Amino acid sequence: MTWLIKVIMFVCIVPTVILMYMLGFSKNPGRKKMILGVRDNPKFHEGEGAKKFDAIVDSARRGGLIITIAVVVLSILMLCLPVNGNTMLAWTLLVFALFLVAVPYGKGNTELKNLKRQLGITKSGVTYTDITSTNVVHALKLPWVILPNALALIGTIAAVLIDLGVIGINVASEKYALTLMSISFLFVGVIMVPIAILMDNTRNMVISRDSNINANYSRAKKKTWADLFIAMSWANALCLIAYDIVLVFTSSETAVLAGTVLYSAVIMAIAIIGVITQQQVERRYDRDTELELQDDDDNWILGMFYYNRNDTRLNVEKRLGYGGTINLAHPAGKVIGVVSLLLIIGSIVYLVYLSATGQLTV
Amino acid sequence: MIIRIDEYSDVPIYMQIRNQIVMGISSGELKPGEQLPTVRALALEIGINTMTVSKTYQLLKQEGYIMTDRKNGARVRENISQSGVISEENKTELRRIVSEARLSGVGKDALKKLIDEFY
Repeated sequence: MTWLIKVIMFVCIVPTVILMYMLGFSKNPGRKKMILGVRDNPKFHEGEGAKKFDAIVDSARRGGLIITIAVVVLSILMLCLPVNGNTMLAWTLLVFALFLVAVPYGKGNTELKNLKRQLGITKSGVTYTDITSTNVVHALKLPWVILPNALALIGTIAAVLIDLGVIGINVASEKYALTLMSISFLFVGVIMVPIAILMDNTRNMVISRDSNINANYSRAKKKTWADLFIAMSWANALCLIAYDIVLVFTSSETAVLAGTVLYSAVIMAIAIIGVITQQQVERRYDRDTELELQDDDDNWILGMFYYNRNDTRLNVEKRLGYGGTINLAHPAGKVIGVVSLLLIIGSIVYLVYLSATGQLTV
Repeated sequence: MIIRIDEYSDVPIYMQIRNQIVMGISSGELKPGEQLPTVRALALEIGINTMTVSKTYQLLKQEGYIMTDRKNGARVRENISQSGVISEENKTELRRIVSEARLSGVGKDALKKLIDEFY
């Protein structure tokens, strides 16, 4: 049965690291608007600048590839090891090792920014805004995100009532397992609502002098996000209900783990479809991009962390991967950043402590 | 209509927005009666303080380019009053531009051509 735990970890880690590599290190950097988190510029492809540019991009790509292969190989090797406290710690640490892919990306980003300075490309501080599409471009239909969560809430209430004995059904699983499982799924679903709203309210990008193109581009991107969150909310709610039903009739851990594998695979599939759709949108609007967009590369620490004191927005579009990130210069952004960092460090320290004291069991 | 904001410009941001909205109205990009974004929405979109946008709208309203009310927000005026005279401030600005052009060796015809293009 423990092999299922390994499969779950494998299904989560391997596609993620491959996806991170594909998104961070483009095969054809000359055709992308953004290379290693730095905006492309014609000077990157001329004379001496082109040589330096190619060297930086190749080196970063090679570094990213080595780390990706290492994570994949380690994941395959871990599949062969038995599941115990130590290997569980190793699996968890492997999840955090995913962040290592960002190291060559960050290094390449810093080198490209230095190259920009050497080539005299300075255009920072300029922002383009299309006032025609301000606050009118939205794609999220809120009821479609709230409805699955309402369903999840009903499922959770039912689970609590069953566990408390208010509803007279004999549960095969352990006491309160139903409630705990339902609450965790509900929590994930509820968290998705504000994130979906935030993504729908991100700043509209200006890619053309034609306001219609800008509006359509932003709408297409927001639609992809809205669809992604709606699909994830439904998958989450349906999974919660399926678990409730399964746990009522059986206490089989195999069934629960098989469900988790299926759930992880569905979430991964939804994420991959979302990324592919975003790429299609980018490709479609590539030929309509006529304006040099704002050059705010210097506000992106290592091309990943947005820090701009002159920007009052909390959420901005990501550079590495797809989605949104926070402005770390914003007061709320500082709090979120510190809390996230403490949570990551705390989790690693806690897991190592559990493993060292022999308390990490499967 | 696209607005370009330069953080490092000597011109204050509220003035940069004001100037570009005026140019937009003049060129027809912003049509009479057209709805402008709310102060909050525009501030969020550009990433600046709401007070800055509010100052711009107040100035535009004072100058008679837009009208604002609680129900409909800000709109471009249907009939902008045409005094037929250039303000003293703009005359000074024009004189500065002409002087700089002459010092740079730009001919009168080239300058007139440019005026025709922008008018």
